[in-house]
Amino acid sequence: MSRRGPLGFALYSLFAWSIVALVAFPLLWMVVTSLKPQNELFRRPPTILPQIVTFEHYVKLILETPFPIYFRNSVILAIGTSFAVIVVATLGAHSLARFAYPGRRFLAQLVLFTYLLPSVVLIIPLYMLMVWLGIANTLFSLMLAYTSFALPFALWLLRSFMASIPDDLEHAALVDGASRMEAFFDVILPQALPGIISTSLFTFILAWNEYLYALVLLNRDAWRPLTTGVINMLTSAFNIEWSLLMAASVMMSVPLIVVFAFLQKHLTQGFGAGGVKG
Amino acid sequence: MSRLALTRRTTLKSMAAGAAIGATAPAIAQATRTLRWWSPQGAPAQLAAYKYQIETFEAVNPGIKVVFEATSDEGYPAQFAAAFASGQVPGIVTHLPSFAVTSYFNQGLLSPFNDVIKMIGEEKFYPNANRVYDMGSNVYAGIGIGNSAANMIWLRKDLMAKAGIAKEPRTWDELRDAARKMQGGGIYGAPLPYARNSMTSLVFICFIHGAGGAVFSPDLQPTLTSDAVVNALEFYASMRELCPPGATNYSWGESLTAFVSGATATGLYTGRVLANTLAQNPTAAPHITCKLYPTISANVPFWTFNDFPSVMIPKQFADQDAAKKFAAWLFREDGYVKQLHAAPGHVLPVLKTISESASYQNNDIIKQYRAEVDLMAEASAGGFNLGKESPQHQTNTKGREVIGSNVLAELVQKVALNKENAKTSAAWAQDRIAEIMKRT
Amino acid sequence: MTSPLDRRNHLLGAMLIAPTILIFCAVIVYPLVSALYLSLFRIATPTLTGAWVGFSNYTELLGSGIFWRGLRANLVWTAGTLVLQIVFGVLAALMLHQNMLFRSLARALILFPYFISTVVAVLVWRWLFNDLYGILNHLLLLAGLIDMPVDWLGSMPNAMISLVLVGAWKYFPFVVIAVLARLQTIPETLYEAASIDGAGPLARFWDVTLPQLRSVLVIVILLRAIWDFKEFDLIFLLTGGGPIDSTQTLPLLVYQEAFSMQDMGRASAVAVLMMAVMLVFMTAYFRSYGRQEES
Repeated sequence: MSRRGPLGFALYSLFAWSIVALVAFPLLWMVVTSLKPQNELFRRPPTILPQIVTFEHYVKLILETPFPIYFRNSVILAIGTSFAVIVVATLGAHSLARFAYPGRRFLAQLVLFTYLLPSVVLIIPLYMLMVWLGIANTLFSLMLAYTSFALPFALWLLRSFMASIPDDLEHAALVDGASRMEAFFDVILPQALPGIISTSLFTFILAWNEYLYALVLLNRDAWRPLTTGVINMLTSAFNIEWSLLMAASVMMSVPLIVVFAFLQKHLTQGFGAGGVKG
Repeated sequence: MSRLALTRRTTLKSMAAGAAIGATAPAIAQATRTLRWWSPQGAPAQLAAYKYQIETFEAVNPGIKVVFEATSDEGYPAQFAAAFASGQVPGIVTHLPSFAVTSYFNQGLLSPFNDVIKMIGEEKFYPNANRVYDMGSNVYAGIGIGNSAANMIWLRKDLMAKAGIAKEPRTWDELRDAARKMQGGGIYGAPLPYARNSMTSLVFICFIHGAGGAVFSPDLQPTLTSDAVVNALEFYASMRELCPPGATNYSWGESLTAFVSGATATGLYTGRVLANTLAQNPTAAPHITCKLYPTISANVPFWTFNDFPSVMIPKQFADQDAAKKFAAWLFREDGYVKQLHAAPGHVLPVLKTISESASYQNNDIIKQYRAEVDLMAEASAGGFNLGKESPQHQTNTKGREVIGSNVLAELVQKVALNKENAKTSAAWAQDRIAEIMKRT
Repeated sequence: MTSPLDRRNHLLGAMLIAPTILIFCAVIVYPLVSALYLSLFRIATPTLTGAWVGFSNYTELLGSGIFWRGLRANLVWTAGTLVLQIVFGVLAALMLHQNMLFRSLARALILFPYFISTVVAVLVWRWLFNDLYGILNHLLLLAGLIDMPVDWLGSMPNAMISLVLVGAWKYFPFVVIAVLARLQTIPETLYEAASIDGAGPLARFWDVTLPQLRSVLVIVILLRAIWDFKEFDLIFLLTGGGPIDSTQTLPLLVYQEAFSMQDMGRASAVAVLMMAVMLVFMTAYFRSYGRQEES
């Protein structure tokens, strides 16, 4: 990182922010469109800023549609999935990183191979499985499905992270009389916290944005997540309710951006330390 | 951020709650009789109408609970495949295209609808309203919940006047001429689709019939190598320059918006144009009108594409009695009119009695555009689609696969975009469709 | 770690990995086996019943142009969007690594494409690309760079180019996250040493930064390649496979066979072939990077 004077800093910020603005332009478009009244939508030539600013679409969405319910469902789904992935993946990663048993190396590689299966083929057998387990059409079945999608990546991430935690720490705890599991909770987990945060953010985004499986695996309107709820409600082959859709999209995206802005320090740490070995 | 920290603690609780609700749901379903209603049309305006129909039904039928669930318009095949494969089917399904119904019925997945037709009252229907669902030997796979005249030509009287066009076009030559005259100053002649999607296939079928031909013969042999099809291809290709550049990716929504916003001088759509124009482009509203879509010459009769949004009942659903009762309930005047008013002019009544009733006609849009709505009602009642292309045609149960394969759309693209020879391309399409008919 | 507890540790280790294995068997292994099995039949999707056809699904597919065209489209799309994702990702990470005003917010915003649902993103892009109301054509017309609106999605090569660009936009943040994190752990001393030796910024990047990034990039490239190859939503919603079938990648072909043509057997065959292709590439990739992936 080179040191620059204040002018260099300002110029660089300008340059960098123009790139950011370019990438984030669609977000700007979404926000601006959601604030326009319906009769301004399809002006020719198109306008960027609204002539009249109106919040009617947001109000309608929150008060007159099941949008808040869908929002609640997505929150439960995303948090539940993240939690499940963290539990299973930390235990599994710990096992892969710090224990020795036959087939361990093979398992670590096999994990990535599971991503080869195309989603469309997976759907119906997955649904039948859920029916067999008795949890078809529930949020829980989606959590299970998403956990399995996030697991390979989470395992890889956490395993490489845990492998970089020095053995001495764990040894010290064992010498003090702790069992392996106690050492795990007291020593390993806190050290792995940045990796855990990265994993949960990645899983959260996956669970928040997924569409196809939510469409097929869950059909109870009361438990539908945002993706399918909003799309089914506002779009059909014949007609798209653009204003409401843009308002909904903004409300779906902004929380993630806000959360990330606060957590990004931890997130990047998670990746950084994990990938050190080489 | 504190919210994340807080909710981690409540996560366990929520998960337990979610699992508990999931587990108890089947138990609840057995105590009262629950009927799930699936439809891809769940826009807020229609939801209000459905709510009314459900509430009035439940009031008269205590012990039966109806739950509406919106399905995806594009993704319904996957949802239904999962539902049928697992036996977790809804009690009643509405608004799917008619060829989905005939296809599912053919695979033994639906109950015949004859009982419901009797419950509603056979004589109330427009004559031939349900012929596309006739599976032979008087067994009906379903009925239409409404009619749609999907290929009306929409015109702007002001633009026509400005271009000096006195008469509405009746033939293709007149149409092309009028479009050419009205094109200019940022306005295009027509919003025809040239995309690789179902709209292009469906719209092109209208043009095949407009040329006096058909996709299949009455005994369901493909007839794409006829002169009529070649003429239709050549005309459709010649219209390409009169449509916006993005028409190569148009679906119904884009095409509709193109006309409603005033970007094209003519439109091709159902009565939804009326509501959308009033909301999105009110200045144009007094000038719009619709007519039956031109055909190649005055000798070839009009052919209206009726989408026949349907009603069907899956056979695997345990409580057939409740399902049939509810299906019939959907057509009672008070609720049915509410449903129709949620999209006035777009979904038209299948029951003659409703069309003529005062409560149906008591709607601003219907009042303002009386002539247009009447024309569409009549046209759609006598309309056809790929499932049944004419009164002589057998019911085609493979319509879904034909459209889903995109063969017709690709045919249009080959000739109109790639400038390939119409005859050879039509022969190619003929082979592909013959293959599809054999396969499934 | 050669304590006498080792043998019991084997058991504990196995127990800890057990939930993972269980989930995999249920959710991945069963559908995989199911797909292999179904591909030998002609299956009607809604009823999941049908007749045995042996390998004819495969022979018909491999003999028809539609599979090979699909594979070609898939490879073009994957290669194109992967290269852009990696290049843009690394560049953006380098850019955001430097000091600038409101850096946290800038980082959050540049990740925005990854945060929104693909379905929503595609709808917005279709609007931006629109010939009549799209802002892209409007701005290009204003700037005088074109005099007729461009057909972004309905003709070739525009359609494939648009797909590759939107795919790059949507997924490059994933690369940014991984690379940015790694950049933050590269010790400053390495750069200082290189500067003292007289290395300019480009040389510093090539000799110091890139080798440090290598381990992260190896895995990121692999994962993105697999996920891009399998991508369905983005392509299906943006071009539908058109014009004609020039952007109909293999996942779209699977969907068309399964749900439009209602032949789950044929769809499974395409899926199995897809997996075979990916397996070949993955094995070659692992072999050439050998030790690297162990990190």
